[in-house]
Amino acid sequence: MKAGLPTSATITSVRKLTSDTTLFALRCDDPAAAGAPLPAVASFLPGQFLELSLPGIGEVPISYCGIPSSDGTIELCIRHVGHVTIPLQNAKPGDAVGLRGPFGLGFPLKSYENQDLLLIAGGLGMAPLRSLLLALLVERGQWGELTLLYGAREPGALLFLDELLYMSQSSDIRIYLAVDRRGSCLEGIPHCRAALLPALLDQVMLQPERTHAALCGPPIVYTPLVERLNQLGLADERIHLSLERRMKCGQGRCGHCAVGTYLCCTDGPVFNYAMLKGIEGALV
Amino acid sequence: MKRLRVAITGLTSCSGCQLALLNCEAELPQLLELVDFRFFPMACSPATLESDYDAALVEGCLSMPHEQELLLSLRKRSRYLVAVGTCAAWGGVAALKNDQDREQLRQQVYGTDSTAALETFSPLPLNAVVQVDATVTGCPPEKEELIGLLTGLLKGSLPTLISYPVCTECRMKETLCLLTERSALCLGPLTLGGCGALCPALGVPCEGCRGPVPEANLAEAMEIYLQKGYAQEAACERLRRFCPGWRA
Amino acid sequence: MRYMEISKLQRLLDLLRQQGELHSPVLGDDGVTRFELLPPGKLPDLAAIRTQLPPKKYLLHPQETILTYQADAGYRVPLATVPAMILFGLHPCDLAGISYLDRIFLGDEPDQLYLSRRAALTLIGVSCTPDEFCSCRLYPSPLEAWYDLFFQQSVDGIAVSIGSPRGAELMKILDDVMEERELLLPEDTRCFFGRKIPLPPESELDQGLPEWQVLAGHCIGCGACSVCCPTCSCFDVLEFGGLDGSSAERLRRWDNCLFRSHAEVAGGMSFQKDRAQRFRYRYRHKYRGFGQVKGVPGCTGCGRCRAFCPAGLDLRALAGKLEGDAS
Repeated sequence: MKAGLPTSATITSVRKLTSDTTLFALRCDDPAAAGAPLPAVASFLPGQFLELSLPGIGEVPISYCGIPSSDGTIELCIRHVGHVTIPLQNAKPGDAVGLRGPFGLGFPLKSYENQDLLLIAGGLGMAPLRSLLLALLVERGQWGELTLLYGAREPGALLFLDELLYMSQSSDIRIYLAVDRRGSCLEGIPHCRAALLPALLDQVMLQPERTHAALCGPPIVYTPLVERLNQLGLADERIHLSLERRMKCGQGRCGHCAVGTYLCCTDGPVFNYAMLKGIEGALV
Repeated sequence: MKRLRVAITGLTSCSGCQLALLNCEAELPQLLELVDFRFFPMACSPATLESDYDAALVEGCLSMPHEQELLLSLRKRSRYLVAVGTCAAWGGVAALKNDQDREQLRQQVYGTDSTAALETFSPLPLNAVVQVDATVTGCPPEKEELIGLLTGLLKGSLPTLISYPVCTECRMKETLCLLTERSALCLGPLTLGGCGALCPALGVPCEGCRGPVPEANLAEAMEIYLQKGYAQEAACERLRRFCPGWRA
Repeated sequence: MRYMEISKLQRLLDLLRQQGELHSPVLGDDGVTRFELLPPGKLPDLAAIRTQLPPKKYLLHPQETILTYQADAGYRVPLATVPAMILFGLHPCDLAGISYLDRIFLGDEPDQLYLSRRAALTLIGVSCTPDEFCSCRLYPSPLEAWYDLFFQQSVDGIAVSIGSPRGAELMKILDDVMEERELLLPEDTRCFFGRKIPLPPESELDQGLPEWQVLAGHCIGCGACSVCCPTCSCFDVLEFGGLDGSSAERLRRWDNCLFRSHAEVAGGMSFQKDRAQRFRYRYRHKYRGFGQVKGVPGCTGCGRCRAFCPAGLDLRALAGKLEGDAS
C-alpha cells in the first residue's frame, strides 16, 4: 500500500523563482535513522515524479527538480496554475503536505554513459532537466560533452538563472539561453539571445552517433525540436522526451495518462521518440 | 486559523441559493468557526460594505442598475467572486423572455397606461459584466457544493465546475433512463451534473436546471427528441427555461 | 454430476444466505434489472440478460472515500470490515469483467479497498442465452470467466460446476439440495472466455476512418457506455476539506474517457481535443489495453454499451473491422 498512501512531509523552505513559480524544499516527517536508507519517496532518479498532496485540496503529479540528498530533502519547482498549485502560492515553511512516489522510469542514465548529452528545456521543462543536470554534474567523468539549451518566454521567466550562469563558468558544461520575446533586455545574461528554442540548435555542433538528447518543455515545442534533431542526424532512439499528463494515481490504474498503449505513469513519463513516433496526441 | 471573510448577496433572484446555505443547519455552527460572514443582508444585519473580502458569493442575475453597482463594488473589494446558482451562472428563469421586446413585456405586465419608469434591463449572467472566478451552478446548488466551496476557499482553492452530465450520475445510481425507456423529454444528457440526478431518480425528467454541459451535442440530442415525437419548439423552450443562451 | 431440481431453488437460496449477504439480479418495480440484496422469499431473475450496472459496482463504488486525513495522523486508508457477500446469477461475461478488474487492482501492490471487497465475494455464475446485443459468441475473449460455483440451467434444474476451493467448500453446505445425475449438457457461453486469441495489432489506429467522425457526431456524451461497462474502471480523484478546518477526505469517482476533462492538465489544456480523438482513446483502451492490461482486449461482449446508449452507438462493429473477426 506504500505507493498508494501519502507519507507526511513538511515544507522546509520556499523560494519564489518568478512571479508564478516557486521552488519548494520538503522533508518527510518520519526521517529514517542515521545511516538507514532514505524514505522511498526521497530516493529517485532524474525524470521520475511524485504525487504531492495538499490536505483538503487534492493531489498533483510533480517532477523531481533536485537530486536525492543525504538528509532526505526533496526539491520541487512548481508553477501555480492548477487547482492544487494555486493554493500552494500561500504555502510557508512548516506547512504539512503528503508525498507519494517515486513514480515512472526517469531518464535512462545507463545508456548515457560515455555519451555526449544535449539537454533541451523549454519554460517549466527546466525543472526535471535540472534534476538530470545536477545528477550528470555529480558524476561528471561518466559522460562526454554536456550542453544545455534553455528557452523561456522572457528573461524574468528563466528559472535557476543564477545557478546556470554559475555552472556556465566551468568547462563542465556549455549553456545557451533564449527568450521568445524580441526586444527583451538581455543585459547581464550571457549566452542568451532573443530566439525561439529550436533556433538554439543552430549554435550546436553535435556528433549524432555519440549524442543523446533529453527534452522537456511545453508540448508545442517538441515537434520542431525533434524535426531539427533528426536533421542534425540524431536517431529517434537517442531523443528522450518527458511528457506531461494528469497522472492521478501513479500506479497505472486511473486511466488518465495513456499515450497510445503506453501509460505515462508506469512506462514514462520519459519516452524515447521511437516509441512515440506516429502515436496520436503524444506530442500535441 | 484565520477565518474566511465572505460577502454574500443576491441580485435578481428568489434567494433560494442563499437559503440553501442557511438550510445547512447542522453544519452552520462549525461553518461559523471557519467563515466570517461580514456581509450577508439576507441573514444578518447591519449590512454595510467593507473595504475587502476574501470572497464574494453572488446569487441571481443582473437586471437593474443598482445591482450592477453592487456587483462592481463587490468585485473591486473581493479576491474571488463566485457566481452561485443557475441565475448567476447562466441568467436563469429571470432571463426567460430575453428574446422579446422589453417595452412590450412591460406593457403586458404593467398595462399600457402605466407611466412608472421601470429601471430594468434584460437580465444577464454575472460574467457579462465582471470577471467570475468560479461558478457553483444549480437551482439551488447542492448543500455539499456550497460547503465544499467555502472549505475550499478557506484553503485558497476554487471549485472546479463539474463537467459531466446528469446522465452519468443517473446511470451511476442505476435508475431507469426516462429518455430511452419512457421516451420522456429529459434534458439529462445536455445538463451539468452534480445534483446526483435527483429528479430522474424520482421519475421526473431532468429540467436542465444546472445549465449546459461543455461540448453539449445539441444536434444529436434534438434528433433523439424528435424521434421520440417532441417538436423542436417544445424541446427548445424546455432548454431555455434555465439557460436562455441555448439556441437550436 | 451434481444437480439440483429447480423446485429446491428457494431452499438453496436460504442455505446461501447463511454464508453471507446474498445479492442477485432482481427486476425492480421501475423496470430496471439490477444486482441487489435478495430478500427471503423473493426469487432472483435468472432469465435476465443483463443488469443495468455490472457487478463492478460491488468492487469499485461509483464514488468512495479512499483516504482520510487528520492533521496529527496524516493520510490513512479507511479501514472497514467487509461482510461476506455472495453474488448469485453472474453471467460468464460478468465473471470475465471481474477477472479483468482483478488484473488492474490486484497484483503486486493491490488496491486495499478492492482487495478487501474482492476477498469477501463468492461468485456464483449462471448460464445465459445471449440476445442480439451480446457479442461473446462473435468475439471470444482471453479473459477468464473465473467462478467459485457455476450453475448451468437446464429444463427442470441446475447442473453445478465447481471452480475453486471456496466453491468446493460451499458445495458441502449445499449438499442437502443436490443429487447426482448423469447429464449431457450443451456447451454454454463460458466457452467464449479464457480463449487463446492473437494479440491485438501494434499499429496505430487509422484516424482517417469515417467511423470515428460518425461516432463523434452521434455521441451525446451521456457517459452511459462507460458507467455500464463491466471493465471501464477509469477513476477521477477528488479531495474535500472537513468542517473542522483541518481534516480531509479523498474520494475516487468513476470517470469517462469520452469527457474532455479526462485528459485535461493544469491550465485547461487537453491532450484529447475532440470527441473523435477520444473515441480512439476509448477504443485503444477497450480493445488493445494499456498498463497492466496491455494487449488484453477488455470487451466482454455483455452488450451494455449498445443496449444503454441513447444514440444506439456500437463500437463493436468497428472492432470487427479493425481487430479482425475471430469467429
